Amino acid sequence: MNVYPIRTSDALWFGAGANVTATGNSYQLVSTQDHWTLEERDIYRIGNFAAFRENPKVIAEEVYLEEYGNVGRPEYQSFFTGEHAYPKQAWGMSIDLTACIGCNACVIACQAENNIPIVGKSEIARGREMHWIRIDRYFAGNLDNPSTYMMPMACMQCEQAPCEIVCPVAATVHDYEGLNNMVYNRCVGTKYCSNNCPYKVRRFNFLQYSDIDTIQFTLMRNPEVTVRNRGVMEKCTYCVQRISDARIEAKKVAVAAGSQDYVIDDGVIVTACEGACPTNAIVFGDINDANSRVKKLKDEPHSYYPLGILNTKPRTTYLARVRNPHESLEVEGEG
Amino acid sequence: MQQAQRLNTPPVDTGDAYLLQGETYTSISDSISNVPLTGPLKTPRGWFIGFTIAFALLMVYFVSIAWLFIRGVGIWGINIPVGWGMDIINFVWWIGIGHAGTLISAILLLLNQSWRNSINRFAEAMTLFAVACAGMYPILHLGRPWLFYWLTPYPNTMGMWPQFRSPLTWDVFAISTYALVSLVFWLVGLMPDFATMRDRSTHPLGRTLWGIAALGWRGSAKHWHRYEMASLLLAGLSTPLVVSVHSIISLDFAVSQLPGWQVTVFPPYFVAGAVFAGFAMVLLLMIPIRSWYGFQAYITMRHLDVMAKIMLATGMIVVYGYFMEVFASVYSGNVYEEYLLENRLFGPSAWAYYGLLFCNAIAIQPLWFKRVRQSIPALIVISAIVSVGMWLERYVIIVISLERDFLPSSWAQYNPTFWDWSLYLGTFGLFFTLLFLFIRILPMINIFEMRLMLNQERQRAAWYAEGTPKPGSHKGHDDHGSNPEKRTTGATAAGD
Amino acid sequence: MATLTRQVPFYGLMAEFSTPEALIAATKAAREAGYRKMDAYSPFPIEEVIDEIDHGRSTGIPPLVLTAGLIGATTGFVLQYIGAFVDYPINVGGRPLNWEGWPAFVPITFELMILLAAFTAAISMVVLNGLPMPYHPVFNAPRFDRASQDLFFLCIEAVDPLFDRTETERFLRTLAPNQVSEVES
Repeated sequence: MNVYPIRTSDALWFGAGANVTATGNSYQLVSTQDHWTLEERDIYRIGNFAAFRENPKVIAEEVYLEEYGNVGRPEYQSFFTGEHAYPKQAWGMSIDLTACIGCNACVIACQAENNIPIVGKSEIARGREMHWIRIDRYFAGNLDNPSTYMMPMACMQCEQAPCEIVCPVAATVHDYEGLNNMVYNRCVGTKYCSNNCPYKVRRFNFLQYSDIDTIQFTLMRNPEVTVRNRGVMEKCTYCVQRISDARIEAKKVAVAAGSQDYVIDDGVIVTACEGACPTNAIVFGDINDANSRVKKLKDEPHSYYPLGILNTKPRTTYLARVRNPHESLEVEGEG
Repeated sequence: MQQAQRLNTPPVDTGDAYLLQGETYTSISDSISNVPLTGPLKTPRGWFIGFTIAFALLMVYFVSIAWLFIRGVGIWGINIPVGWGMDIINFVWWIGIGHAGTLISAILLLLNQSWRNSINRFAEAMTLFAVACAGMYPILHLGRPWLFYWLTPYPNTMGMWPQFRSPLTWDVFAISTYALVSLVFWLVGLMPDFATMRDRSTHPLGRTLWGIAALGWRGSAKHWHRYEMASLLLAGLSTPLVVSVHSIISLDFAVSQLPGWQVTVFPPYFVAGAVFAGFAMVLLLMIPIRSWYGFQAYITMRHLDVMAKIMLATGMIVVYGYFMEVFASVYSGNVYEEYLLENRLFGPSAWAYYGLLFCNAIAIQPLWFKRVRQSIPALIVISAIVSVGMWLERYVIIVISLERDFLPSSWAQYNPTFWDWSLYLGTFGLFFTLLFLFIRILPMINIFEMRLMLNQERQRAAWYAEGTPKPGSHKGHDDHGSNPEKRTTGATAAGD
Repeated sequence: MATLTRQVPFYGLMAEFSTPEALIAATKAAREAGYRKMDAYSPFPIEEVIDEIDHGRSTGIPPLVLTAGLIGATTGFVLQYIGAFVDYPINVGGRPLNWEGWPAFVPITFELMILLAAFTAAISMVVLNGLPMPYHPVFNAPRFDRASQDLFFLCIEAVDPLFDRTETERFLRTLAPNQVSEVES
């Protein structure tokens, strides 16, 4: 909405005497999110500091008590013996909901890094935003003064990915490091993967969103990331191009040292969202490395993943939000 | 060669016979084969009107597909939570309609229900055309439809295979098998009739073309022996096939983990729903056609009556499925499943759920009464309502489940666009174009099986006449054998 | 049989009947009289006539269909096994890459079984019947075009050991046919 006509140089910041009249016209407002309640689902976990200090597992136990009637989470039994092993690196991410301030810097960083097309208002109105990472916003508690929960949500890189099973052409598959890879070349665009994704983080090129005809735009784009054509699905890759870069560099070092075994140090790979996060809420690393930051965060008692009941075993986990409000601020109480 | 050869005063349809009195082998052969044998210039005007409308709609189909290929699937209303919209709804709807044809041709043959003989050819044709309409959707719904063949295992330089765990790969095999086997079954059924057409055709070109199609069929007992065996085997193979096809289509949903899709009752519930919708469509198409072409003697009120009964029975199975869905969501104790029911009952798309309950559960209840089953206006209205209801059922299952799944943050509504509707309208063009061509070019009732049916009716009548106790309920058949009315018009028509 | 027919001047004798019952009776009588090389022609299958003409002979179709079904099922399973486990063993959704993954292969295995079996049933029927055969001597019989409409025919072929031009015709006339005619070869 252009408000510059009413912002004159006489009064840059304040104006007075303006009248608002109904024009009788309608104006479409669009949003990427249309529903803001949690519907009592195990999506966003929150707890108070005092209780958390007493029993660090209290946040998880509350959820399990409600979902399974027990403070523990039942072990799921599988028909299949054995699991897929990831002997080298196993990439994972931890997002600290206490630290996230919902600034959207990760969204923009991701958009710039991964050549994500901007689809415009008409497509957003149809519900076709292309962001690989989004900030989900939920409200709870008092309607007049609700608590706001912000939750960055990207592809969770599930180890037991519902999307992969249903793809008829194996366009989304796991690699040896446990990444849930999207193979654009192979994708025929059934959209079945998105339907079966409980986190709805997959994005589809319903039309030719990327302008591939304007030659100048090639300079704008990240040369290490494929520009997607219409009809293919896309989603967060954990910045696979940065992982590959780091792997190549590590291999060069290893080869120079006469070794076959390469090591990628913790913190060498910084995903775009992680790099842009002003509060270090997002941490990426190798969960096979016992000393990595991400592994330590995942071992925290308040680490969890949303919709745990589905047993998708995502590589991205969250640290529940721990609040410690001053009593005087706790007027209406958190949701 | 015209309908005038038939009796001037048609026999009364008392509603308890599958074949009206006064028919002979000759009259059956003549009246059915006369329709395709009519010269092009003598085609009924109504046929031209119908065909023109259907053909115009077919052009709508082509335009919709062209625009789809030019712009991409974004011309439809689908979005991210609702990745499948009217494309898959219509796919399931059309393929469901097709199932009635296979049920009539295969399952009723195995069950020795000879009344099927007068409707199986038409119903099978409907199956083929419905499968053609349905089969296009999975290809058109792809983001990159020109790569649809990647779903099939074929030798390729990329060394790639399809992903055999995906229900969509199963669909490829199920639908192509279904289409091919239905086509083969239909062609096998046509073979002896092609011979009739060859022998009745007076035009040299007709004789040649029908002769080629008949492959030299001469009705030898040795041929009939193998023919009967092959038909029986095909029926035996088609029966599990038809059950498997809609089961596999239901697995598209049941294999996923979306609330409202992952329901274990889906396979039988989908098969019953398919037969239900299919019989509704058979009735809708057969009622006008039997009167336009004067086939009331072959497709009697009793036929409509039993088809309505099947519709009622399968409809009640579907209602049981609805009940089980409600039960499962309440009994699951799972917050997502519970919300599914809440969303269906009170959500923004609740109109579809109430609509489906009205159309598929309530509107069929009058079929318990014979008077309704034998009333043509009532059957037309109920069948039309059921066809709409089964479309709504797929809307409820596919769209409502997707609109509101696990994360409330991604919930969104689905709004079909103009191109969604135009493609759907276009499939009617494809369906009816093929159907009009079929009723014009091929014998729309299986002639040799009608003769077989007449023979059976005669044997039965003779059996009753020979002093075995006569059950009152079969009075209607009594006169067939003892007083067959022979007409010789067929001989002249055949150019004897 | 084809070579034998050339040794006699005509194919056989054809009797025409108006009702299936008459054809059934005639076929029975012919078999009792000892005729074996004969065939009946009717506009629809008549079980009793088939029994008399083929007399317990198998159609040969069921074993072929069974074999084809088994080949189809095996092909389907092996195809998927190779595709998913041998040629392209890739981690899809954490599912196992060994025999434990068999349940996912059931639908395609089943469909290929049906596909091959059904095609075999139809094609073997046509081929074993010797079709397509656009020309056959019986088409020369008078009014034979109505064998596909409303008349019933019994043909005793000249290659039958008991066949005798006069005797056989006399026999056929005892069966009350509409007419008896000689079929050119």
